[in-house]
Amino acid sequence: MGLLQELVFGLVTGSYIAIAAIGFTLIYGIVNMINFAYGEYISLGAFIGFLAANTLPGPLPVAVVAAMIGGGVVSIVLARGFFTPINQTGPVPMLLTSIGLGIALRNGIRLVGGRSARYFETDTSTFRFDALPDIPIGPVDLLGGFFVTSEHLIVIGSAAAVFAAVHLLLTRTDVGIAMRAMGDDESLARVRGIDTQLIRDSVWILAGVLAGLAGVLMAVQTNVSADTGYSHILQILSAAILGGAGSPYGAILGAYVIGLVLAVSTAFLPSSMTGLSSAMAFVILIAVLLVKPSGIAGTEVREA
Amino acid sequence: MSALDRLPSGHGDRALIAGVVCLLVGALFALTPLRVQLPSAFYVFVEVGILFVIYGVLVLGLDLQYGHTGLVNFGHVVFFAVGAYATAMLSAQDTFAGIGLGYPWPLGLAAGVIAAAILGAAVSLTSIRLRGDFLAIVTLATAEIFHSVFVNFDNIFGGNVGILGVPRPIAALVTDSDTRLVATLLVLGGVTLLTLAIVTRLTEAPYGRVLRAIRADELVTRSVGKSTITYKTQAFVYGAALAGFAGGLFALYNGAVAPGFFTIQVTVTVWIGMLLGGAANHRAVLAGLAIIMGLRLVSRFALDVTPVSGDVFASIRLIVVGLILVAVIRYRPAGIWGDPQELGVDQ
Repeated sequence: MGLLQELVFGLVTGSYIAIAAIGFTLIYGIVNMINFAYGEYISLGAFIGFLAANTLPGPLPVAVVAAMIGGGVVSIVLARGFFTPINQTGPVPMLLTSIGLGIALRNGIRLVGGRSARYFETDTSTFRFDALPDIPIGPVDLLGGFFVTSEHLIVIGSAAAVFAAVHLLLTRTDVGIAMRAMGDDESLARVRGIDTQLIRDSVWILAGVLAGLAGVLMAVQTNVSADTGYSHILQILSAAILGGAGSPYGAILGAYVIGLVLAVSTAFLPSSMTGLSSAMAFVILIAVLLVKPSGIAGTEVREA
Repeated sequence: MSALDRLPSGHGDRALIAGVVCLLVGALFALTPLRVQLPSAFYVFVEVGILFVIYGVLVLGLDLQYGHTGLVNFGHVVFFAVGAYATAMLSAQDTFAGIGLGYPWPLGLAAGVIAAAILGAAVSLTSIRLRGDFLAIVTLATAEIFHSVFVNFDNIFGGNVGILGVPRPIAALVTDSDTRLVATLLVLGGVTLLTLAIVTRLTEAPYGRVLRAIRADELVTRSVGKSTITYKTQAFVYGAALAGFAGGLFALYNGAVAPGFFTIQVTVTVWIGMLLGGAANHRAVLAGLAIIMGLRLVSRFALDVTPVSGDVFASIRLIVVGLILVAVIRYRPAGIWGDPQELGVDQ
């Protein structure tokens, strides 16, 4: 396969990671915790979408809406049950709680949903572009024909819609402006009369909605299983940190960098080592934390 | 005056004596024709017990890092894995896949400790200044990178098969399987007790007080003239070296290493054991680990009497483990035997 084809795959991967990374980074910026259970929210969204697609009569968009609503409900219920009560204990206990919750949720999903992977049945049309010439350099083909499926276009299109919606929410609505104020300085926000608990709840709901959407998109691209979200959590985390933890715009950028690096390293690595491409995301993550821990746009994460 | 009164009173000294006794009795089984017969119901206890004493060395290292110094290392398994792989690759003979150099096993064990310490030094030199939750992420990512390196470079690390043919020093001395299990448990248990004695000595010394001061308030510690970065780096490297030591013991007990033995599940098990028992208290973290690993026994026996499949039971056990972690942090942040005042977690 040519490099162009890998770039298309990279854009698709970047798109669904970006949607999830926005939710992840908003939780980081406003609730001040790394939510390791976020991958399980995504898996739950994928399962809710899958159930909705198989039981409700409507087309795929109905399943997507169901997954988004389900994701939001799951997120706020779990936050109220597990994270809000220990909000004052600091980042490390909250991270550990989310790891424990993630293990419990993942195995709960496995218990109910079984171990086998399920697949969305979607009608796909493929657009081929075969006329492009090959430019081989060593084993790698720098151009080459490629194809785009309607699923790819749906994923990239949904991501673009989410970016626009999140941007409008954060800049044009009272809730969004309050979220940014809280991300900046929680005490000052409270002084200005912002109900911080209400804002925190809305962030949890928003993050859950985004996780639901990302879950369905990931499921369409890969499959529905208990590991759908968990297998992506480190990439999401890397994207969020690369962009500067807490910054949604940085997270979008970070997600596309991660997606493209994964795709390009798949193209350049020998075929026996393609499994290493997922490790590339973590190499980037560590490199960013060492060289510029604040990410592309963000705040200092070193203590001393 | 009875013999009991003449025993030393410190925890460290008692662990030292108990460790030496365990080692001697283990050596008795290994080197003399003395034999034991185990009832078959006991096998599972001894096997989980051997794994427990190996993980015990791991949790002592982690407790040095997190419990005493406050370093959130969430990739502890990587040091365990590197120690095991280094030991295996240096000492394995006729491995099926990957590299086996066939050197004597003590050399391999030493190399395992050194390799893990070097990796620990590399991680701490680059990341020790990061805030707690980000250090957790870096260590976790390091573990994931090494995991995929072990899986993917099958010419060197043997891929998913791993490295076979690692010498098993105790198995080489004892042919009878019952005696071998008991001797292994005693020798490794003795080693764990000796480790407990050493870390107790270390943390009861003024050195340990500095570590705990860093955990309590790094700024204050620095202001009294302690180089906190140096202390943190040292604690991290000691913990990593202990994990590498545990990895080497594991390779020499198991006779083979493979990526499947070194998943994030190991990290989670030792973390939950440490938090459940009570961080910063060596004996408490071992007790907490015993509780968590005891759950494996419970689930194995429950499996025989309930009609559900093994997969379902594994899921249920992990749900319970996850919820225990959540519950401990929320309701008993200092653990069962921890000191909330000392840990600064009382609310």
